[in-house]
Amino acid sequence: MFDRRLFRNLDYLLLIAVLAIMAVSLVIITSATLANPFGDPMFYVKRQAIRFLIGFIVLIVVISIDYTQFYRFSHYLYGLNLVLLVAVLFVGKQTGGAQRWIDLRVFELQPSEFAKIIIIISLARHLASREGNFDSLFSVVPSFIYVFVPIGLIFLQPDLGTSLVFIVILFGMLFLAGVRMRHLLTYAIGGAAIGLPLLWFKLKTYQKMRLMVFLNPDTDPLGHGYQLMQSMIAIGSGGLRGKGIFEGTQNQLEFLLEQHTDFIFSVLAEEAGFIGGVVLILLFMLLIFRVIRTAYIAKDTFGALICIGVATMLTFQILVNIGMTIGIMPVTGLPLPLMSYGGSSLLMNMIAIGLVLNIGMRRHNIMF
Amino acid sequence: MAKSMLKRLRVFSALVVLVAIVLTSRLAWLQIYQYDHYFARAETNRMRELPIGAPRGEIYDRNGELLVGNRPGFVVSVLDLNKRDQPDVVAYLSELLEMEEADISAKIWDQRYRSFAPIRISTKPVSAEVVAQIEERRIDLPGVIIETQPMRYYTEDSLAAHALGYVGAIGREELLKMQEQGRFYRGTDSIGKFGVEKTWEEYLRGQDGILRVETNRFGRRIQVLDKKDPIPGNNLTLTLDARLQKIAEQSLTEVIDNLRGEGNDQAGKGAVVALNPNTGEILAMVSFPSYSPSTFNENFIKLRDDRDNPLLNRAVSGAYPVGSTFKMVGAAAALEEGIISIRSIISCTGRKVFFPNDPARGCFNNAVHGSLDVVQALAKSCNIFFFELGKRTGIDRLIAYAEDFGFSRTTGLQDLEGERAGSLLRREEGKFWPVGNVLTAAIGQGHTITPLQLANFSAMLANGGTHYRPFLVKGVSDKSGETILTVEPEIINQLEYKDDTWEAIHQGMEAVALPGGTAASMRNLPVKVAGKTGSAQVSLSGSHKAHSLFVGYAPADAPEIALAVIVEHGGLGGQAAVPVARQIFAEYYAAE
Repeated sequence: MFDRRLFRNLDYLLLIAVLAIMAVSLVIITSATLANPFGDPMFYVKRQAIRFLIGFIVLIVVISIDYTQFYRFSHYLYGLNLVLLVAVLFVGKQTGGAQRWIDLRVFELQPSEFAKIIIIISLARHLASREGNFDSLFSVVPSFIYVFVPIGLIFLQPDLGTSLVFIVILFGMLFLAGVRMRHLLTYAIGGAAIGLPLLWFKLKTYQKMRLMVFLNPDTDPLGHGYQLMQSMIAIGSGGLRGKGIFEGTQNQLEFLLEQHTDFIFSVLAEEAGFIGGVVLILLFMLLIFRVIRTAYIAKDTFGALICIGVATMLTFQILVNIGMTIGIMPVTGLPLPLMSYGGSSLLMNMIAIGLVLNIGMRRHNIMF
Repeated sequence: MAKSMLKRLRVFSALVVLVAIVLTSRLAWLQIYQYDHYFARAETNRMRELPIGAPRGEIYDRNGELLVGNRPGFVVSVLDLNKRDQPDVVAYLSELLEMEEADISAKIWDQRYRSFAPIRISTKPVSAEVVAQIEERRIDLPGVIIETQPMRYYTEDSLAAHALGYVGAIGREELLKMQEQGRFYRGTDSIGKFGVEKTWEEYLRGQDGILRVETNRFGRRIQVLDKKDPIPGNNLTLTLDARLQKIAEQSLTEVIDNLRGEGNDQAGKGAVVALNPNTGEILAMVSFPSYSPSTFNENFIKLRDDRDNPLLNRAVSGAYPVGSTFKMVGAAAALEEGIISIRSIISCTGRKVFFPNDPARGCFNNAVHGSLDVVQALAKSCNIFFFELGKRTGIDRLIAYAEDFGFSRTTGLQDLEGERAGSLLRREEGKFWPVGNVLTAAIGQGHTITPLQLANFSAMLANGGTHYRPFLVKGVSDKSGETILTVEPEIINQLEYKDDTWEAIHQGMEAVALPGGTAASMRNLPVKVAGKTGSAQVSLSGSHKAHSLFVGYAPADAPEIALAVIVEHGGLGGQAAVPVARQIFAEYYAAE
């Protein structure tokens, strides 16, 4: 199945970054879930470790298929994606006012997570096939339509955060595909001018509250502002060196909420301090720059575009998630890649990283 | 790779670096620059402080006998009560404590976010029996704990209740007053409400300890972080002599009981004060009827509504007509002013008209005493003699001498609140003054006085005119016995009368307790007593019996105790007050 020569081109540095982030994740999840209703302090971390293993198996599967195969199947993937997104609206499980999950018995599937990677692949093909034809303002309209169909479906769930991720991925890939800067700016500003007021009316009350609280955290310190306030107290009180792993009072005494999922960074920053937080940010930088490097060495535009899609997605999710915990981004339900407890997001990230490794491994046209 | 694409990858990389810089900068701002602020907030989040009640200081009599102490009171509380066990526990406690289940559940619910602190279920201390029952069923009652809190304990129940006072839950106004004075009290604290417990609150109150506990978001206690032990309040040593106090209370009670037994249903109130004439120390202070400070809070409504007003300290707040005990003032004035000498004789004819248009006045029972000097006049309490002295001295000079002895002014006692000043029947410019009033005033009618003033009067007669400030607290010491404060006797006024004046008065008062005197029943006591009886009519119609009074001191040659006794509606002459005083002196000196 594998050609040995392919392994010479495997990006081991990228893999090391992934493993290092996962190691940090396991330690912090352990600390964040010591007190849980299941009686076993390792309950959560064991499950996450198994997911990491499954993630690596999926990653191996992904790198074993030549990524150019995905080019051929991308239309089918796009179609499957739409089916799943429509399905979730009808058979999805309702949690916290949103319908995001499909219960597959074995595990709960979150189609919007997989939609990210499918959109990256299919948009990469879409843009690669139009390479060099982006001179006029209207030349990108088909690309917008192409992406806005799935975005619309996700928005209906509703999942504002993930919808935003798609828009950012779209802009990142359009930028690399050669769309003029001023055209992108025109669309960005125009879209914001029309979209934001419309959006405000569509937002649910809790989403509005989150935004209000972000603009002024003191509006509701016991309700919606609570999470944000407690997160900032946790991080600020961590100081330079942190309170020590398993010693964070905000974490252990449960003042933090969702501390093993959305607010896992708060736990890290409280217990490992500024040093711990910066180390994690540097690991993410290493990961992202290895992805950008892969875009640079990719043998075709399709591969380069996929890499940039993945890099944009990772960067944006890191910015929004960490930004949320430190009070510079509104509270959205975006998980921190490879760090947050959970399956769908992890699986999607492992597929994305597999694709990047795949592109890096097959950068030369090897004759078999 | 196309050149434009390369350029765009560089721009893209720059944006990624920018993201990292923004996140790192914000992180540095929160974790390094604002560290102190957030660390403090995290600490406030998790720490809760619980007060540990400090025992109040103890109160001892002058000989070191414990009058007021503390003993543990048991309170049933729940701490960390499991939701699953709650119904059973509540049901059991409801039965044991005789409380409604709903009330218990409401208490637990009200404090659900404060579960780091024990939730008190029983509103008042429970009996040792209840404690034993809970201890026996310990395993079936998870989350139920017995808390102990120091309880005020009055060793002799109602002994000296009015002087000691009582303690109760702090009220709103008291709380505000204390806050104004910069003294920290909690709404759940106790405070001295009356007597020495109130006036010496600052010394008696201890300093609460602190239990610092760590709690989680739900207010559940995780662990105890540290503990600062409470500092008990300081101990007071009183001037009271517990033995004398007991004798005085028993004597007054017995006499009043006897009076009532003989059909005098107006009797039922009275007061006794004993001072050390050489210092001003209050040796005994009795007000009848009394109350029990231990059960004060339970019986408050009943005590408050009692028509005999047992909560009133009659010794300092009751003002009574002075009656014949005033005659020493008349004697002192006449002797000092040179109007009479110790040998001057005045003839008593039983009844006499002193002023035109003034009705004839006479002695008790219209007795005819014949020729008397001042000593005999005091011994027999001859009204005619003192009418004559009063007429000769004149009202203004007479009143000036009364003021010398502290009449119409408070004695200066600072250890109790509510001291009254009494009053004098005096002539005022521009107001009608019937000439006969000077006669009325001369035999003590129309003036009022408190038992404490009367005792002070007695002390000044005994010690030759020194007015000491009466006091109840001799000294303060801390828990380890270290003296913090010693109260020294304080002279408020010193009368400079001639020795002959004192000699005449002393002889007269000694003659009172000798055969032929009005308190001749005191002649065969183990100690030589000097005194004076008095009775004060309280109603012209005679519907109410007169108050019975006695002032005196003993031993007559070297006074140790100056005494004042008042028995309300005890009857004329020394019918009631003398037996009280006699019994006090007899029992106090019999034991020595």
